[in-house]
Amino acid sequence: MRPSLPRAASAAAAALVLAAALLAVPPAGVAPAGAAGPTTIEFWTISLEPFFTTFVNGLIDRYQRAHPDVRVRWIDVQPQALDQKLLSSIAGGVAPDVVNLNTETTLRLAEVHALVDMDRAVPAPARARYFPNIWASLRLDGHAYGVPWYVTPDVLAYNQALFRKAGLDPAHPPVTTEALIRAAVAVKQKTGIYGFMPNVDGIRFLKVFQEEGLPVLSPDRRRAVFDSAAHVALLARYIDLYKHDQFPDDTLRRGYLGATERYGDGQLAMLTTGPQFLLRVRSDNPDVYRDTAVAAAPLGRGQVYDLPTMDLAVPAASRHQAEAVAFALYVTDDENQLAFCKQVVIFPSTRQAAADSYFTRGGTSPEDRARVVAARELDRARDLTLAIPHSDDLYRDFREAIESAFYGRMAPGQALEWAVRQWNAKL
Amino acid sequence: MERQALNRGPAAASRTVARGGGAAARTTIAYLFLAPALLLLAVFTFYPVVFGTVLSLFDYNVISPPRYVGFSQFAALWSDRYFWTALRNSAVYLAVVPVLQLSAIVLALWVRQPLRGIAWFRAAYYIPVVTSIVVVGLMWRWLYDEAGLLNYVLLRLGVVHAPIHWLSDPNLALYAVMGVTWWKGIGYYMVIYLAGLEAIPSYYDEAAALDGAGAWARLFRVTIPLLRPSILLASTISILAALRVFEEIYVMTGGGPIFSTYTMFYYMFDQAFNSLHLGYAAAIGVVLAAITALFSAVNFRLMRTGGLSYY
Repeated sequence: MRPSLPRAASAAAAALVLAAALLAVPPAGVAPAGAAGPTTIEFWTISLEPFFTTFVNGLIDRYQRAHPDVRVRWIDVQPQALDQKLLSSIAGGVAPDVVNLNTETTLRLAEVHALVDMDRAVPAPARARYFPNIWASLRLDGHAYGVPWYVTPDVLAYNQALFRKAGLDPAHPPVTTEALIRAAVAVKQKTGIYGFMPNVDGIRFLKVFQEEGLPVLSPDRRRAVFDSAAHVALLARYIDLYKHDQFPDDTLRRGYLGATERYGDGQLAMLTTGPQFLLRVRSDNPDVYRDTAVAAAPLGRGQVYDLPTMDLAVPAASRHQAEAVAFALYVTDDENQLAFCKQVVIFPSTRQAAADSYFTRGGTSPEDRARVVAARELDRARDLTLAIPHSDDLYRDFREAIESAFYGRMAPGQALEWAVRQWNAKL
Repeated sequence: MERQALNRGPAAASRTVARGGGAAARTTIAYLFLAPALLLLAVFTFYPVVFGTVLSLFDYNVISPPRYVGFSQFAALWSDRYFWTALRNSAVYLAVVPVLQLSAIVLALWVRQPLRGIAWFRAAYYIPVVTSIVVVGLMWRWLYDEAGLLNYVLLRLGVVHAPIHWLSDPNLALYAVMGVTWWKGIGYYMVIYLAGLEAIPSYYDEAAALDGAGAWARLFRVTIPLLRPSILLASTISILAALRVFEEIYVMTGGGPIFSTYTMFYYMFDQAFNSLHLGYAAAIGVVLAAITALFSAVNFRLMRTGGLSYY
């Protein structure tokens, strides 16, 4: 579009914005590596305080002892505040050096070239330590934008007391999504308490499709294809369950956080979640925790588990990229990943750490059981987050379609057709 | 001479007094007193306003340098469905303003009475104002829950026969959030109106009573007209707050369901921090600022007469 301001005014405006943007970025060389003191790198994590304060501090202490020229400043950020804080820091010229992100945020920031390309920054032998499928989940247009840290495949936590009350056998929890739905309906019918809260909020139905073996994109990834009869039938199935009050009305609004809260209150029979959330149940309601048993997450027809991945990314605006990449590789090395996995039920992204016998040894607590169960799921798991351009625009359309269908504003088929049209116009 | 100057207004009076001697010193001192506030305003208000306005003409995502795109982002807004959804929701949200102001006036008139324990009530009504919006949001989320207190009471009273999905019903969610804005704001506006009522000399009311005016006539013919400056102030603040509503929505609904609580400010936030379209978000901000200015101007126009100049 031809600019409509006079040339002088445009130039002045451009100068003002550029000046403002430049003002926000301190000139290079303000704090060069190798200057008088040690280099300080800033390390951001998501919600690791207070449970893992000692672990992270220990990690940093050991690194600083081994690298006297580097100091690490650790900042723990709440997940809700992360995006905003990160963008503000980058815009303000005080970007952190190493940031813990999830796949979705990594890909979104990679889209605007905000992150360092790890395929280029990390030497091939170091890259080879990680599971190739997990490393690949952080790729956009052929480049990886994060070093994988830990992964958290879902498990099924269920309340044995509610199972018994509903006439279900706690020794035989559901193993497929169909069986999960049947069990949930039985629990609701017999006890009046909800059986489950499916992960269908926001854009999670994109993962539901994949878990049920239904593709979201065409093989060349240039067209959306989630409007087939099978897709429509699957969406209609969940809408029918919702209309018959088989899961709570805040499922679409509150997602897994609402589910965890409800499960911890003893008001939900089954919770499909990352094993680390059992910690919250343990602290919120020891009685429910005591009645909790853990099994493999029910499998859909796609025979695939989603594998939410946490990674360490280095913002392109970091002034100490080499030190930051080195620290990210240290945090995610075999030894440190294994040590972290012994703190909580999470799983390593490196092959050697994952081969440790720790992941096959059982125990008596729900977490011990979850560890063994989830470790067995790893070979069928992959991160189902989509790497697509204009993801926010597309996700907004998808969310609108799914919610319109659930709340009766559109028929399921009509909603999916509409969303596919929107996607194909933008892909 | 001084009297004449006063009649011409404070600025003229100041000039007249200044001519008497020490004019420059007095002006300098005045500016020095203003300087800290002006500096803060310059850094945290004027600069962002200018920067945001200019930014609306640029495509900017924080990471790459800004690219001048002229008014194309405003043109894009015109055909952006979500913008119109947000605008419509913000317009509906404005309905909270008259309800809030009317109830705050009624409340102020009530707590102004010299009743036993009324100070406790005044404090109680003000508690929501000073309570963190996150706490308020969480509390109301529980109250609005399908099995929450509100539904429990309504069901027990037989007002409804099935729980109301306050925050999950696209036709209801926006009004439910507006209810929270009303609950949180009423104490704040009550204080403004209490101050306004205290400023009205009691002899106006007494004179009207002596002339035989009843309670309603005194309220509508004496008190309300004299309260107009406070109404102007409170309703302007309330309009600004309603157009900028964000926290309640962020905590309680996240803009859903089906974008039924997606307001202008929320859309601006979404575009800036989720989609990284900061220039586009700035364009939304400029439109929002224009709408706000328009509403404020209309409000000033409608409410400018009144107060003690009424008589």
